[in-house]
Amino acid sequence: MTLIDERPTETAAITTRTRAARWWTSPMSTNGPTFQADRLKIGLFLVPMLVVFVALFLIPLVQSIWWSFTDFNGYSTDAAFVGLRNYENVFTDPSMLAGLGFTLMFTLATTVLITALAIPLAVTLDRAFIGRNFVRAIYFFPAIPSVAILGLVWGFILNPLGSGALNSLLQSVVGIGPVPWLSNSTLAQLSVIAVGVWTSTGWHAILYLAYLQSIPDDYYEVARIDGASAFQRFRYITLPLLMPAMTVSWLLLMTGGLKVYDLPITLTRGGPGFSTFTITQTIIQNGVSQAKYGQASALAVIFMLAVGAIVAAQLIVSRRLEGRLS
Amino acid sequence: MKHPFPARSRALRALAATIAITSAAVLTGCTAGAADDRTVLTFFSWSNEETMEPVIAAFEKENPDIRIEFSNAPPVAEYISTLQNRLGSNTAADVFVIAAENKTNLIEGGFVTDLTDEPFMDVASEFNTATYASPDGKAYGLSLSSWASGIVYNVDLLSEHGITEFPTTWDGFVETLTTLKDAGVVPFLESWQGFPTSLGSSVGLANFEAGGTVDAEIFAGKSTFEELWTEPLTPWQQLFEDGLISPDVVGLKGEQVRDEFAAGRVAMMTAGPWDIGAIREANPDLNFTFAGVPQKGGEPFFTGAASPGYAINSKAKEPEAAKTFLEFLASEDGVRIFQEKTNDMTTTSNYTPTIDESLEVPFQALLDGKFYLPMISWPRYQDALYTDLVAQIQLMAQGQATPADVGAALDARLAQESGE
Repeated sequence: MTLIDERPTETAAITTRTRAARWWTSPMSTNGPTFQADRLKIGLFLVPMLVVFVALFLIPLVQSIWWSFTDFNGYSTDAAFVGLRNYENVFTDPSMLAGLGFTLMFTLATTVLITALAIPLAVTLDRAFIGRNFVRAIYFFPAIPSVAILGLVWGFILNPLGSGALNSLLQSVVGIGPVPWLSNSTLAQLSVIAVGVWTSTGWHAILYLAYLQSIPDDYYEVARIDGASAFQRFRYITLPLLMPAMTVSWLLLMTGGLKVYDLPITLTRGGPGFSTFTITQTIIQNGVSQAKYGQASALAVIFMLAVGAIVAAQLIVSRRLEGRLS
Repeated sequence: MKHPFPARSRALRALAATIAITSAAVLTGCTAGAADDRTVLTFFSWSNEETMEPVIAAFEKENPDIRIEFSNAPPVAEYISTLQNRLGSNTAADVFVIAAENKTNLIEGGFVTDLTDEPFMDVASEFNTATYASPDGKAYGLSLSSWASGIVYNVDLLSEHGITEFPTTWDGFVETLTTLKDAGVVPFLESWQGFPTSLGSSVGLANFEAGGTVDAEIFAGKSTFEELWTEPLTPWQQLFEDGLISPDVVGLKGEQVRDEFAAGRVAMMTAGPWDIGAIREANPDLNFTFAGVPQKGGEPFFTGAASPGYAINSKAKEPEAAKTFLEFLASEDGVRIFQEKTNDMTTTSNYTPTIDESLEVPFQALLDGKFYLPMISWPRYQDALYTDLVAQIQLMAQGQATPADVGAALDARLAQESGE
């Protein structure tokens, strides 16, 4: 019944979108003076965005590419062309290589873990229960404060001494001695990943929840009537219809993970050793602290290309998965 | 299609125009009756406004024809990047702070004025002036104070375990650590998320005993970091191996160590003058005092350096007012007001500071020249070397690197930075 009622609405929406697209692209639409004027107006509305894009992205990008071939130090405007020297130096810098390793580990681990936790959480939060909105707000809360502030707070929670908040709790509840959360290389890496997962799972769960709510109940109703189990309903209805959400979520997690800086810097400052060093930290240190803007720009250019390639690959894989599952 | 409410549209346009004109007037400072004929001197500091306000107020009172336009950014990275951007866009202040981290770039780039022959530089200590001088001896920064950090210890806690006098020898220090650890007390903590006072003092003593020229020799290619650093670091590595110091130091922030000390949970920690107020505030009853860091085969030593100096922009819009300001900062009144506000250990010849009694020992060390900070002593590549240094000593604390590895990594970095 509901399905029948909804169909005309969906069809109407599609028709409206098709008309709009046709209006924008059709050669007929360019003939009338009113259409021409409207298109001009719409174009004018896009100008501020274009100005912002050119001023804050395109010009700095071109500037960075140029600096990557010079010895620009951030102070003197006299920068000499040095060819590919900066690119050579990037690959011999031990902090850069260490930063690359942890950045990739963080990105992969947070993407997998957050996805694995956020989808079941979204499914749970989609069900009706008392205090549902409050629980949703609680899970969403870690996404609100600055990650740098969360890093400082978690620094106190994960204090490796016996007086640290988590260690005190473990001592009193389980009776185990202080765990060196941030003073052991492996544990420090795991701690940074765990806090990263904690800060973002709720946000991504809400993203999945928005997509879940757009799945009509009738699909589940029909599947139930046909005798589908809960797993089958999830596998054949929820998961395929959540694929667009997963594409968006993965894209955000991958780009955010590859650019990670504030969480490790506030939790561990990149240590112990170089174990939680990140690419962005290397770029900032090279450019600002060490006054090697040229080398930092070279690293930024390589990094941008690498991020672009990884994200493109991720989008291709996601699209194929969407096609296969739906 | 005509607009249905033309009159309202005109009114809106008029309102928008009024808002735009008013905003422009406010933004450009064109408000009636706000004329100010005073010379505007711009000053960019890494201390906050609250710290600098008393000095600025006193200066403006003494120089009613000059008004200081103050701005600041917190140290170190944010201050340096902001100054970089301003210098690059020719909008830097007339007076700004020159620090160890940017002195080479500022001096070599010609961004700071030569202050060598300015009369106000006479009151600054020779060491402070030399810190912000070019290799040919020209002075570019007016540095009024220095700092030294050593060990602070809980007097009562040590007494409880029979230690009535703080050890001045390395063997005595190890014995004290052992006694406290055996009694179930955490003997010593410090943060190794940066370069620690303990190691700075040990390397400093080695440098001091070699005539204080070791860093210059390293950078001239006549010596190596491995030669200088291996011996001073070895006893500290032994303390980790013997379990007298916990490798947890690499995961601790300075304030976490201070909180442990203030709460009486650790007997000793390394600290500087900036920690005194926070410890007293957290635990007013704590009986503590400073001592030098005991050394193997030598006298106790301190980590320390000249505080950042004040420099004049070589393209200052008001160079004479800038000099007048620095002259005031170096005057007896200027130094006194600054010292009273910051509790810094001022080292100028025209004023003797009244310092906290617990700081008498490190203050004497400053006067005796028994302090060292490698990042100040290195003429170039400070941040690049520092990043590797901190990473390597953290690995050493975890037992994953030896003292020789630390020196070797610094040598490799220096070679890379020098393009060798």
